[in-house]
Amino acid sequence: MPNDAFAQGAAAGPGTAVADRPLIMVRGVTRVYRQGALEVHALRGVDLDIAGGEFCGLVGPSGSGKTTLLNVIGGLDHPTAGTVHVAGHAVTELDKGDAADFRLAHVGFIFQAYNLVPVLTAYENAEFTMLLRGVPAGERRRTVMPLLERVGLATEGNRKPHELSGGQQQRVAIVRALATRPDIVLADEPTANLDSETSSGLLDLMDELNRELGTTFLFSSHDPVVIERVRRLIRLRDGRVVEADAAG
Amino acid sequence: MLWKIAWRNLWRHRGRTIIMTSAVALAYALMLVGMGLNDDGHRRMLEEAARAAGGQVLVHADEYWNTRASDLVIRDAAQVAGRVGAVDGVRAVMPRVLLTGLVSTAAGTRPALLQGIEPAAEAPLHDPAEDLVAGTFLTGDEDRPIVLGARLVEELGVGLGGRVVLTASDVDGEVTRALFHLTGVIRTGTRALDEILAYTTVEAAREAVSMDDKLTQIGVLAGDGHNPIELAGAIAAALDDLPQDLEVLPWQEAVPEMVGFTELDDAFGYVYMAVIFLVVLFSIANTFLMAVLERVRELGLLSALGLRGRRVAHLLLAETALMTVLAMGIGFAVGFAGHLAAAQWGISVAMWGLEEIEISGIDMADLVIYSEIRPFKWFMGSALVAVATIASSLYPAWRASRLAPAEAMRFFE
Repeated sequence: MPNDAFAQGAAAGPGTAVADRPLIMVRGVTRVYRQGALEVHALRGVDLDIAGGEFCGLVGPSGSGKTTLLNVIGGLDHPTAGTVHVAGHAVTELDKGDAADFRLAHVGFIFQAYNLVPVLTAYENAEFTMLLRGVPAGERRRTVMPLLERVGLATEGNRKPHELSGGQQQRVAIVRALATRPDIVLADEPTANLDSETSSGLLDLMDELNRELGTTFLFSSHDPVVIERVRRLIRLRDGRVVEADAAG
Repeated sequence: MLWKIAWRNLWRHRGRTIIMTSAVALAYALMLVGMGLNDDGHRRMLEEAARAAGGQVLVHADEYWNTRASDLVIRDAAQVAGRVGAVDGVRAVMPRVLLTGLVSTAAGTRPALLQGIEPAAEAPLHDPAEDLVAGTFLTGDEDRPIVLGARLVEELGVGLGGRVVLTASDVDGEVTRALFHLTGVIRTGTRALDEILAYTTVEAAREAVSMDDKLTQIGVLAGDGHNPIELAGAIAAALDDLPQDLEVLPWQEAVPEMVGFTELDDAFGYVYMAVIFLVVLFSIANTFLMAVLERVRELGLLSALGLRGRRVAHLLLAETALMTVLAMGIGFAVGFAGHLAAAQWGISVAMWGLEEIEISGIDMADLVIYSEIRPFKWFMGSALVAVATIASSLYPAWRASRLAPAEAMRFFE
């Protein structure tokens, strides 16, 4: 079972920030990867605030540090230096287990590919994080089915990932990411493997869900379709934020 | 959900799972059948040893068993036998006169081991009359009867009713001779025994060497559930106040080689099974380690979604546990069927081309081994297999639990 403290934090609902602090607060984050004698500086002192309910994109060329920053914010990776606070939680202070609980309670992830558990059906994938949080079956169904309907997959619930198209798989991932009503959804190149029409449809969907549910979305992408649709752009280059619209 | 994922993961590589499951099932089934045959075989060997020794407990004059000296005899044998028979747990008492000497006919002379017995008393242990191939076996009507092994008869060139002279030492160490008439011929199936064995009645043997009321040996059969070693202690206590020194040996002390053999055989059996299981377990560990490497990205995804490292490990362990349950279920069915078949029909030692096998001088050629379940041993063996099989996936599971999600998610990028 996940850590109760994180679960209670999550129960406050999406977009909840502590007092007047931004939902996401990144301060002086650096991340250095060591490959033998070589040091790769993926992030070089990133400062960033993102308010609850934002729909924003991290853009930049390959190797600019987009994925690393998303990973650090989502508690998937530990920065070499600096601090990250999400929904009042000092993510950078968490150990591995607590970071997992934090992700379960506060973060929804959409990855570029290999997004779904291959042996689970679309419905089981969609309800997976709710199940990890111990949500009863009835409540899971009441939450997941409308979302699957919303993404046009109500009749595809029994299909395994390999029986779904790339766009359908990403839609299932969106449902899974939103099912627990997380504070933020971190989407790493969610449209990279999709055609532009499918990408556009998915972004419409996420945009609507952002407006309806107030869930904060943070994308990393260099897809023009994404860049056009986000309401705030944060540009990264060589591990630094080079341009960012004002938060919220 | 973890169990569901684990179960479905098992069948993602159907062929691999079938091979792994079959390997564990087969090794487990072999272990069960092997244990059953081993236990029954050893029990029968030990029974055979006890029978060959002359009983589960043997009473002699002190030091007789080591020296076989003719002057070491049980005096006032009726009183001794009476006391032995009165001990709780004694099922049968078999008085015997054992003589080593020479048997002669006009055609030749051969060494012989003559046993003076009471046929009715011997029956609960082993009825020598079952080996009779000609004549009669000490019916009580014969005059100075002697029954000889078939090869001894051939070598002595004597026929039924023929005269046989025994030359042996009496209790005073004097060489004495006695005349017998051949009344029966036995064939035990063991060449060495058929060349040397001879039977007569206790009375005829006593008369031959002037033993009066003495005996060389009193064989004892223990009642069901009575331990021969404990029974020997009780008999020794019952004879303790008699004015003669007697030795009371449980058969394990009388034929220690057989006990040693079965213990050694058990040890080899355990080593053999351990080797088989080590091979199987390393195969499982290797396969699961490969499965972890194949699924790094997927395990990283589970971790990214909020599954703690130990639950990722549980997933891997659940897969092994399910495979183990499946394999042991199949293995138990196969092993139990094998046990039932072996228990029903048995496996003849002679069938394996071992017609002349002897262990510690005891004929085992007629031995038919069945299967015998010792529930506790089966349970412990099964528990060991289950624990060992699941343990084989501990390292892969630990590796899986240590995966850093960010790195794991990048794994195939």
